[in-house]
Amino acid sequence: MSKTFDRYASIAFLLIGLLFVIESTKIASSAYGSTVGPKIFPLWLGVILILLSLRLLYETFTYKSESASKEKLQYKKFFIILVSAALYAFLLEKIGYVISTFLFLLVTFQTMERGRIIPTVIIAAVFSLGIYYFFAEFLGGSLPGFPL
Amino acid sequence: MSTLQFLGDGFAIAFQWHNLLFAFIGVVIGTAVGVLPGIGPMSGVALLIPVTATITSGMPTSAAAASSIILLAGVYYGAMYGGSTTSILLNTPGESSSVVTTLDGYQMARQGRAGAALAISAIGSFCAGIISLIGLVLLAEPLSNVAINFGPAQYFSLMLLGLAAVSGLAGKSMTKALIMTVFGLLLGTIGIDAVSGIARFTYNQPILFSGLEFLTIAVGLFALGEVFKTVLERDEEDGAIAKINRILPTKQDMKDSTVPIVRGSLLGFFIGVLPGAGATLASFFSYMTEKKFSKRPETFGHGNIAGVAGPESANNAASGGAMIPLLTLGIPGSGTTAILMGALIMYNIQPGPLLFDEHPEVAWGLIASMFIGNLMLLVLNMPLVRVFAKVIQTPKKYLLPIIVAISFFGVYAVQYTTFDLYLLLGCGVVGYLLSKNDYPVAPLVLALVLGPMIENNMRRALTISNGEFSIFFTQPLSLVFLIAAAAWLIIPLLLKMKGKAVIVEEEG
Repeated sequence: MSKTFDRYASIAFLLIGLLFVIESTKIASSAYGSTVGPKIFPLWLGVILILLSLRLLYETFTYKSESASKEKLQYKKFFIILVSAALYAFLLEKIGYVISTFLFLLVTFQTMERGRIIPTVIIAAVFSLGIYYFFAEFLGGSLPGFPL
Repeated sequence: MSTLQFLGDGFAIAFQWHNLLFAFIGVVIGTAVGVLPGIGPMSGVALLIPVTATITSGMPTSAAAASSIILLAGVYYGAMYGGSTTSILLNTPGESSSVVTTLDGYQMARQGRAGAALAISAIGSFCAGIISLIGLVLLAEPLSNVAINFGPAQYFSLMLLGLAAVSGLAGKSMTKALIMTVFGLLLGTIGIDAVSGIARFTYNQPILFSGLEFLTIAVGLFALGEVFKTVLERDEEDGAIAKINRILPTKQDMKDSTVPIVRGSLLGFFIGVLPGAGATLASFFSYMTEKKFSKRPETFGHGNIAGVAGPESANNAASGGAMIPLLTLGIPGSGTTAILMGALIMYNIQPGPLLFDEHPEVAWGLIASMFIGNLMLLVLNMPLVRVFAKVIQTPKKYLLPIIVAISFFGVYAVQYTTFDLYLLLGCGVVGYLLSKNDYPVAPLVLALVLGPMIENNMRRALTISNGEFSIFFTQPLSLVFLIAAAAWLIIPLLLKMKGKAVIVEEEG
């Protein structure tokens, strides 16, 4: 349990709750004059979320000082994979499913473990082509195929 | 028509060749999901929803729903079989419900009885599956007859009970669990309000009009969250896998485990029916019970076969029992059943008491297919256990990127927007951060599925009562549900205050 994370999280949830409360007061009341319009439910939930996050914020002050367990996190690998996944999402419709998937898999396979280029190329190619032909050709689904 | 006749019709559906194939694929993938540490039943089912949605896209809606739910449920209970394999062979549980299996299972493996332990857990799981299915068949009809008379007020209170139960038992901190629940409910309000047609929290973004897609969020939080966790905290290479010599258990083994299997099945079934409590709690309680009833409790933890047979039966029975509230009441009691429910809703099929009348082919087809699926699992697991043990050795460097690629494919194939892909990635990062810091994500997904239904029922009830909130307290059944919901939250708090350890239900 990380005290700092909980503190930031409670503030974030507090703001989310506030946002929902403020925004839901802007929603028009129900058209047919009923008291139970579309804004009541989110309004209440926003209030409850605010109360709960205040409670969590209070709890973070009562934590016993925890021994910070130092784990070595592999940030570099993680960020490379995250960025390449974001690029994959960005390029999917632009250069088509097969090429973008192939590139994404190749990059991430190599990020996970360097070397052994040939097997990774084969697996990436088989996966991207296999999924595309099975899904788009055989099952008749629609995927952006190749850039044309 | 009688229950037996319905069941017969269900078998007619389950025996259609494509449904047999779906059940088979489901249980095989389920076993693999159970074997692979890192993907639990919840992310396994979430990942496969888009795949099944596309495979069944050419079929009529209700047949498509029956086929895909047959496959997805197969993954769910198949994972319960597979989870024991790594517990026994590697001392690392494949999913949280087989944690206690490591205690005696691994010891048995060290004594050279790995085969017997695996076989007995397969046999136990099979018996438990059948027992819980019989319970499901017997209880489905009466329960849905009761539930059919529920008005919106009762439904509202019952769903609150479901949410309270899951939040009360999930994770170490109840505040965090409740925050996740409320957050999930709030996310569910995004989009066009179904009653009034007013857009809420959309900021005129057309992409938000239909709301955040449940599937994207579930796959992101569970599957991608788990991938990111493994990438960041790459665990040490796994230890050596115990050898499997002889698969068939001896007569003595069978004799020793018959009673634990029956006991575990019954216990697991009733725990599974309760909302909030699931396979993890069931296996834990079963282990405690076996230890208490045993003539030689000191042998537990040193390879007592009852310590494998009981919990392994219990977790499988619990997964069968969990289907009861889902199918008859339309209230999922756990994260995985919430995802199954989301899958049914995607096909415009509303689980609940009307399911048995409106779509008997889905309900009974699923029940019948679970009989067949359990039989398949028994047949598969006995001779093929060596093959599945090989699955453990799948290198992570290939597995993790492929899971990402499958999630991308699945979400894109169903949604056709890159917005959902970015949302998926975002949910993956958030899911990792949240579960790393003990914020349980299962209540969030459950709330997201139940949210719109809770709101609709609340507003319908309030419209009936002209805006009087007393309607929830004056209707007796509704009041009972509300009291039960409050008790579910308060009792663990009281226990904690008294300094007692509260067992929590973890799902993966």
